[in-house]
Amino acid sequence: MLIKIAWRNVWRNKRRSFITIAAIFIAVFLAILMRSLQLGMYENMIKNVVGSFSGYVQIHSKGYWEDKNINNSFEVSESVLNSINKIEGVSNIIKRVQTGVLSSNNKLSKFLYVTGIEQEAEEKLTDWNKRLIDGTLLDDNGQSIIVAKGVAKYYDAKVGDSLIFIGQGYHGMQAVGIYPIQGVIDMKNPNLNNMSVFMSLKSAQDFVSAKNRITNLVIDKEQYFNEVKIAEKVKSKIDIQSRDVMTWKEMTPQLDQLIEADNAGGILIIIILYMIVGFGIFGTVLMMTQERLYEFGVLISIGMKKSKLMIILIYETIFLTFVGVLVGFVISWPIVNYFHYNPLKLFGAAADQLESAGFEPIIPFMNTYDIPLVHGFIIILISLITCIYPIIIISKLKPIKAMNR
Amino acid sequence: MNVIETKNISKLYKQADQEIRALDNVTINFKQGEFTAIVGPSGSGKTTFLNSIGGLDSPTKGQVLIDNKDITKLNSNQLIDFRLTNIGFVFQSYNLIPVLTAKENVEFIMLMQGASKSKRDKRALELLEAVGLKEQLNRRPNQLSGGQQQRVAVARALASKPKFILADEPTANLDSSSTANLLDIMSRLNEEERMTFIFSTHDQRVIDRANRIITLEDGKILSDINVK
Repeated sequence: MLIKIAWRNVWRNKRRSFITIAAIFIAVFLAILMRSLQLGMYENMIKNVVGSFSGYVQIHSKGYWEDKNINNSFEVSESVLNSINKIEGVSNIIKRVQTGVLSSNNKLSKFLYVTGIEQEAEEKLTDWNKRLIDGTLLDDNGQSIIVAKGVAKYYDAKVGDSLIFIGQGYHGMQAVGIYPIQGVIDMKNPNLNNMSVFMSLKSAQDFVSAKNRITNLVIDKEQYFNEVKIAEKVKSKIDIQSRDVMTWKEMTPQLDQLIEADNAGGILIIIILYMIVGFGIFGTVLMMTQERLYEFGVLISIGMKKSKLMIILIYETIFLTFVGVLVGFVISWPIVNYFHYNPLKLFGAAADQLESAGFEPIIPFMNTYDIPLVHGFIIILISLITCIYPIIIISKLKPIKAMNR
Repeated sequence: MNVIETKNISKLYKQADQEIRALDNVTINFKQGEFTAIVGPSGSGKTTFLNSIGGLDSPTKGQVLIDNKDITKLNSNQLIDFRLTNIGFVFQSYNLIPVLTAKENVEFIMLMQGASKSKRDKRALELLEAVGLKEQLNRRPNQLSGGQQQRVAVARALASKPKFILADEPTANLDSSSTANLLDIMSRLNEEERMTFIFSTHDQRVIDRANRIITLEDGKILSDINVK
């Protein structure tokens, strides 16, 4: 019956309850949309920069990250690969050899990064088919290369033209070769487009005379798995005295800092929103308490325990908040899902700015359930905090004084 | 047998710099089955007296014994429990819970006592039938007349099977036919079930029905008359 009394009390003053519910609804609605947009944008940025090439976790030989030299390459056994593959959340493992070369074509020359890849494994991380703008993809035994579109533009090179590479091979060997261009790819990132050339892993290992050796072991993860936890588990499977395990945040700290800085601004706005709503709820609770002191006095007089009266008031506040949160979720969630599957497309200067930073000019909303759950929980927590006031009032209430008001 | 005994109870209030003596050494007993009207002019101490024997207010001095238990020694939580199981209250303004129906208002007290649903249902129906409101079970207070609300209040007061009922000006807001109806019900309950009623009142119609009339003035008992 306490729940029944509380529910009916909520609707005693319908107008006030509707106003409070509307305020809570607006806060939840805006919070869910804002966070879905923000987190979706970050996820897209990470996907662009990290998911499309570097992967979420990488294993290198100790010292490779500071000195990206083919001499800092390593061999990886099948048993290690199998044990990493069995870690929960690992979706794909990719072997790469990466080395810097001086390239030339006719009278032009340029420093490039040559990456040896396994096309099949690589395609699970990067959608090469969609990014290929000319020519065909690599095959594992071929001797040709795919160049990024910035490189092709620099050399004014087309499919069928060749580039000459001169670099340093493993243990002082000279690395020299001439490679025909088989395809041109758009890496969706200006830096990568201006510096990247790809060949099969075997070709790259032959080029640098480092048979069976790799420089990077890229580990991709399934969505919503935490890369830090995966990295910790990877460390337990390998010899960490001779290997480094790095997450994308360690490899590209500038992106992490950019996201953190932007995220802090978003959180600040939400805190302000919650403060406004918190005071709104408190105002209602204050009125619900003050205007019913006489009634509380009567209830205590006829034998109602103060604790039960407090429970009724807490129920009332939770009901009010819950209805607002529920309405906020029901209305915002279809919008979030719509923009998750149909991302906002940016145009003009905003799009150019994102593209120049290496990001796709789209904002897909994030539609994970933790967003409405977290914000619903925060609002309910705020409403519970506002209940402290009536609890104090009731605990000090003397029935005679309350009824004489 | 005495249901209530007061021994030299006094109640002092401070108003501005003045000390007001609302009750002054009142010693009185009430027996089971009495139908008592406490009368006196405004400010004579009627309500303070009722509040003191009802455990709503503690006297500055003296003892209030209910079934030989001194309730002035109880703390506020113990007093709430004591009121719930021993005393029924009927207020001038009815004071029903506005969001509950007549039946739910009567059940409410039993719920506080932890009675089962079936017991609550049975007793609420019996009591509402006894006060003539069998047809209005599911109406909320705002759908009932003043007289009907006060009859629900009487049913509520009886629901916990109290030792006595305190009624503070119960007919003050009622018309004459509602007053007569209410007094008939209370008189019947008093005669048939030997329920003890103590009223504070100015209403001559209530005084005419009482079998004991206590007159208070300036916090003192001026007279105590058994009329029947």
